[in-house]
Amino acid sequence: MLNSGEQSDNIYWHYTPNINYSIGLDYQQDKVSKEYFPSARLTYLLNRKNTVTSQRNLYVKTGVGLTNSDNHFYALTGDWESRRLFAGFSAKKISGVSYDLFEQSVKIGVAPYLGDYGDFHTWLMIETKKNDLDDKRTTYPVLRLFKSGALVEVAYHKSTDWTAHLMYRF
Amino acid sequence: MKKILIATSFLLAATAAQAGHHEKGEMHSHEGHLHETMVDGKEIVVDPQRFDIFVTGLDNSQIALVSVQGMVCDFCARGIEKTFSKDKSVSKIDVDLASGKVLLAYPAGVKIDLADIKKKILNNGLNATDIQVMRN
Repeated sequence: MLNSGEQSDNIYWHYTPNINYSIGLDYQQDKVSKEYFPSARLTYLLNRKNTVTSQRNLYVKTGVGLTNSDNHFYALTGDWESRRLFAGFSAKKISGVSYDLFEQSVKIGVAPYLGDYGDFHTWLMIETKKNDLDDKRTTYPVLRLFKSGALVEVAYHKSTDWTAHLMYRF
Repeated sequence: MKKILIATSFLLAATAAQAGHHEKGEMHSHEGHLHETMVDGKEIVVDPQRFDIFVTGLDNSQIALVSVQGMVCDFCARGIEKTFSKDKSVSKIDVDLASGKVLLAYPAGVKIDLADIKKKILNNGLNATDIQVMRN
């Protein structure tokens, strides 16, 4: 997984031994200081509900800095999706050497057309984020495209400019 | 009278053809879906065009039709396809996102392990709610 945003770029590899959890390594570079922040991550599936037309998931996630354990986070995230609709949320507590941050986000989306397996899929989404550091809500459109194992997500907001998220599942 | 005779002949011919079709144990379709009632009373519902394409070239085979819950995106479908493609006894796979069905073809002599199919689906984070086996 590759992310490029206003403040940092990061690349994240993860391995899922079974459906209940995944372990990963994240490598983040601050765009201003050019410093690297490698971290280890764990994602655990708390609950999943499958139906004929939908899937709902609840995850707990955590990560800790490999060079400084003062840098760490934990989060509760969830999503519900059908072939047509998507809704997701995240509540994340991030702690750094000199700061603590609580960030909440909600994302909703709709697929304008329903593709079959292997087709090119498109999602039109809106995400809203707020953290208690600047106490300002940002809401922006997100375009998600995916085909087979590749996913590209592009978002734009005037204050953060473009952010891109690339993912490939092997 | 001539018209009645022709219509009756057509009707009889169609009925005979339909009866022959059933005797062979093949599937038939109407209203966009393929229907066949199993011995246990369950009804198989599958896209007929998709099924026809799937069985093309599959002689002397068994087909397992798996109903899957939670298969809502390509990532899920891809996981299912990858898992069953590693199974040497499976000769062909088709994943239908729209209906939540997976078609698996096996050679006629193979004993299909239904519990193993369910386990493989579960290991992909999905649920197999029903498996029906047909002969082609």
